[in-house]
Amino acid sequence: MSSELVIKDLHASIGDKEILKGVNLTVKPGTIHAIMGPNGSGKSTLSNTIMGHPSYTVTSGEVWYKGQNILELDVDQRAKLGLFLAFQYPVSIPGVTVANFLRAAVNGHRAVEGKDPRETQIPMAQFRKDIREKMAALGVDEAFARRYLNDGFSGGEKKRIEILQMSMLKPSMAIMDETDSGLDIDALKVVSQGVNTLVQANADMGVLVITHYQRLLNYIKPNVVSVMMEGRIVREGGPELALTLEERGYDFIREEVFGNGN
Amino acid sequence: MATKLPAIASLSAADVLVATEPAWLQTWRQHGLSAFTAHEMPYWRRTDLTAYAFADMQLTGDVGTFKIGADAPAGVIVMPLSQAVHDHAALVQAHLGSAVSAKVSKYAALNAATWRDGWFVYVPKNLETTLPLHLTQGFGAGNTLMARNLVVLERGAHLTLVEQLHGDGGPYSNVVSELILVDGATLKYTGMQTWGAKVHHVGHVVANVGNNATIEWAAINTGALHQHIEAETNLVGNGSRVDWMAATVASDGQRLLTAPWLRHVGRSTEAHMDFKTVVKGTGYATFDGMIKIEGGSTDTVTRLEEHALHLSPQARSDSIPGLKIDTNNVQKAGHASTSGEVDDEQLFYMQARGISKAEAVHMIVMGFFEPVLDRIPLESLREQVTAAIAARI
Repeated sequence: MSSELVIKDLHASIGDKEILKGVNLTVKPGTIHAIMGPNGSGKSTLSNTIMGHPSYTVTSGEVWYKGQNILELDVDQRAKLGLFLAFQYPVSIPGVTVANFLRAAVNGHRAVEGKDPRETQIPMAQFRKDIREKMAALGVDEAFARRYLNDGFSGGEKKRIEILQMSMLKPSMAIMDETDSGLDIDALKVVSQGVNTLVQANADMGVLVITHYQRLLNYIKPNVVSVMMEGRIVREGGPELALTLEERGYDFIREEVFGNGN
Repeated sequence: MATKLPAIASLSAADVLVATEPAWLQTWRQHGLSAFTAHEMPYWRRTDLTAYAFADMQLTGDVGTFKIGADAPAGVIVMPLSQAVHDHAALVQAHLGSAVSAKVSKYAALNAATWRDGWFVYVPKNLETTLPLHLTQGFGAGNTLMARNLVVLERGAHLTLVEQLHGDGGPYSNVVSELILVDGATLKYTGMQTWGAKVHHVGHVVANVGNNATIEWAAINTGALHQHIEAETNLVGNGSRVDWMAATVASDGQRLLTAPWLRHVGRSTEAHMDFKTVVKGTGYATFDGMIKIEGGSTDTVTRLEEHALHLSPQARSDSIPGLKIDTNNVQKAGHASTSGEVDDEQLFYMQARGISKAEAVHMIVMGFFEPVLDRIPLESLREQVTAAIAARI
C-alpha cells in the first residue's frame, strides 16, 4: 500500500469563489515537501481541503492516501489514516484540558469500530508517561496539561501544543500550515526541532510544509519545494528554489507563468 | 403521614394552621394566606401557568423526605424547619420570610401559608466549616410539595452547602430557600434541581448578603418538565460579593425558566454572573435576568455572561437580560452573551485529531459546563451529575 499523498486536479471553492483551480501534487513518504507561495495563492485552502474543513467545497479532483480517496472520508477518519494538520490558527476549547483533549485524540486513533473502547484505550499510566516526556522535550511546562486547550495561550504556546499533539499522535503524513506565523526565533527553533525529531524517528514520515517565507526552511530543511500561485502548483524544484524565491521574490515566477503585465 | 387538605382554591385559615405550632408562626401563616388570597394570578411571560394550575393542585401535607448526605459539620445546626420552629424559635422567627416575603408572588404566599417540609441550617458566629453539607429533598408520587428552607450564617461563619431537589415525585413542587449571610459570612452554595421528568417546579431562592460577606453560588437545573425559578442575590452589605454560576440542560419537552435578579445595594459590591444553558431536542430554556444597581450603591462592579448552546434545530433558548442603574458611580458593568450551535471550527479541529464528531460534541458541551460542575463540592455527586448530563447530550 502506497503511502504517498497524491493530489489529482483538485478544485475547491469557498462559497461561489473557486480557490483551488486544479492542484496536482505528490508528497512522497520520507520527504519534506515545502509549498511556498504569496498570500492568497490558496496554500491554506489546500491544507484545509486535504483535511476536510467544512467551509470548503471540493468541486472536482481526488486526493489519494494509503489506497483511499480521502475526500470520501470523515475528518476524523482522515486523521486515523495518519494525516495530521498543524493549524495556522489553533482553536481554543474552553473547559477541555490539554491532557483530556490529548487522551481523547490518542484514544480516537486507537479506537476500532465494533470494539469496546475499554479494550483499545491507552492505559492511563502509559499516557501520563508519554505526555510528560513529550512536554519536557518541547519545553512545555507540565502545568499546561491541566489548562484548557489553547484558552488564553500565546501564539508561541499554541504552536508548541500543536507539535506536542503531533508527537503524541505520530502521524505518517503531517501538514504544517504556516507554522512559522507569529513565532519568534526561539519558538521557531523549538518547534522546528520538534518536527525534525519526529521525522528522524520515522524514516517513512512525509511532511508538507506550507509557508510564505523561506525562514522556516532554514530549520526544517525540505527535499522538494513547490510553488503555488492562483490556486495551482506552478513550479517544482529542490531546496535551492526556496533560496531563489527568498532572493528574487515571487514576481519572476509570476512573469514566467502568466506572462508580463499579469 | 400525609394529611389531605382541601383544594387550594378554597383554602381557609382552618386548613393551613397547625394547632401544635407556636402562636407567632400561626400568625405568620395567616399573613401568608391573606397575601395568597389578595394576590392576582401572576403574569409570567414565558412560563405556561396552566402547568401550575391551582385547580389541579391538591395539598397533601408533609410529603417530603429529607436526607442529610453526610454528617453535618460539628457545631452546625441541621434539622427540619418544622422542628426548628420549636427548638430554635427565636432564630427562626428572626429570619423566616426576611428574604422571600409572602408579598412577592401568589406562589411564594402559598408556600408561606402551607409549607410543611424543608430544613433549617444554622452556622454560629465565626464557625468555619469546610466539610460539605448535602441536603436532599424528595417527595412521593401524587403529591404536592410545599417546602421551605432557611439557612442562616452568623457573622464570620463559613459553610459549604448543597441543596438538592431530587427524585420522581409530584407532580407539583413549590420550594422556597432563604439564605441569610450576616456580615463577613462565606457561603459556598450549590442549588440543584434534578427532579424527575414529570415534575412542575416553582422555586424562590433568595440570598441576602451582609457587609463583606460572600456567596459563591452554583445553580444546576437539569430536571423537571416545567421549571419557574425566581432567584435573587441582594448585595445589601458594603463590600458584599456574589460569584454566581448556573448550568441548565433542557431536552425533549422540558421548559425551564430561570429569572435571576441581582441587586447591588451596598457600597463597593461586586458580582460575577456566568449562566450556561444547553438545549436539545424540543427543549426550551429561558434566562430572564435583571441586574439592578440601586441609588446608594457606589463603586460597583458587575459582570454578566450568559451563553447558550443549541444541539438541535428545534431546541429553543430565550435570553432577556436587563440592566437598571440608579447610580452614577459604577466602577464596571459588563455583559456578554452568545447563543448558537456547537462551533464548526472547534468540531473540525477536534475531528482533525481523530476524535469522532459525537465525542467532539460531547467534549465541547461538557467543557462548556465544566466551570459550573467543578463547583460541586462532593466528588461523588459531581461525578453523578456529570454522568447524568453526559447521558442526556
